[in-house]
Amino acid sequence: MLETSPKTVTIAKRRFELRADRVERTLRQALPEPITSHYVVIGHRRYPPKQAISLVTGLDRADFTTHQARRILTGLGFPAGRRPGQPAAKTHERSPAPKSRSTRRRPSAETLEPFIGQWVATRDAEVLVAAPEPRTVVGWLAEHRQRADSMFRVPSDELQASGAAPW
Amino acid sequence: MRHSFQALPGHTGRARPVVDLVVEGLDLAPQACLLDTGASDVRMAEHVAELAGTDLTDATEHKIVVGGLQTTGRAATVQLELRQGKDSHTWAPTVYFCDPWPWAFGLLGLAGLDPFLVSIDTYEEWAELHPRNR
Repeated sequence: MLETSPKTVTIAKRRFELRADRVERTLRQALPEPITSHYVVIGHRRYPPKQAISLVTGLDRADFTTHQARRILTGLGFPAGRRPGQPAAKTHERSPAPKSRSTRRRPSAETLEPFIGQWVATRDAEVLVAAPEPRTVVGWLAEHRQRADSMFRVPSDELQASGAAPW
Repeated sequence: MRHSFQALPGHTGRARPVVDLVVEGLDLAPQACLLDTGASDVRMAEHVAELAGTDLTDATEHKIVVGGLQTTGRAATVQLELRQGKDSHTWAPTVYFCDPWPWAFGLLGLAGLDPFLVSIDTYEEWAELHPRNR
């Protein structure tokens, strides 16, 4: 449950009054950066906590820690989590050779649910980035030096998924 | 290597057999394409050509009906790469880059499947593409 009342926090000896709805509004304009470890879920998207706090406060990211940012955001009611560790990332590497019958993982239907109608770039079971325009997705991948396994638009109905037009 | 089907959310029916193709070396964003044995050719959204730096200025235009919707496809011979674990297979079919393209995936139709022996297990939801020349 998101906190609707303002919350006063002190970061880098400066006081800020934060509200969950304003945090959401600010972050709506920003694509999430790659998640290395911790994340918070804001507006159905996963952000690195430091990116979120930096955008909301205007502070330099060196002025606070990930844990501090995470604590503040969870205090506002945003869910937080931690990306599964190295094994998933290892499967993306192309050497050493995977077994001949290995299967590349893909995101589940539940993972894709928040991104219906958007273009997504995915890697293993994760959505790296989602945006309304494919150019934005590729631009983000290039900017953050990320490589996706797959890029497509999450369909909103059977027709978009199967390549059939409405009758 | 087995390519698992892509599950889809909402009212989109069952998971689909897709493979991810690197188009003209655009390897940071392989394009998901539906394995479509009902389609004769390879078709993708026109923006893919733009993202991959493929010039369609002099490409021949074709009126195409895909799934009941008329679209305009511009034909170009482009390099496609299918990566499968440590192996990759590269070939250069004609791809029709289409606008409008309201669908979720590109279509890897029969002409794009020529270099492969294809197995699809719809029950276990995976597909395998074995290059013929190996």
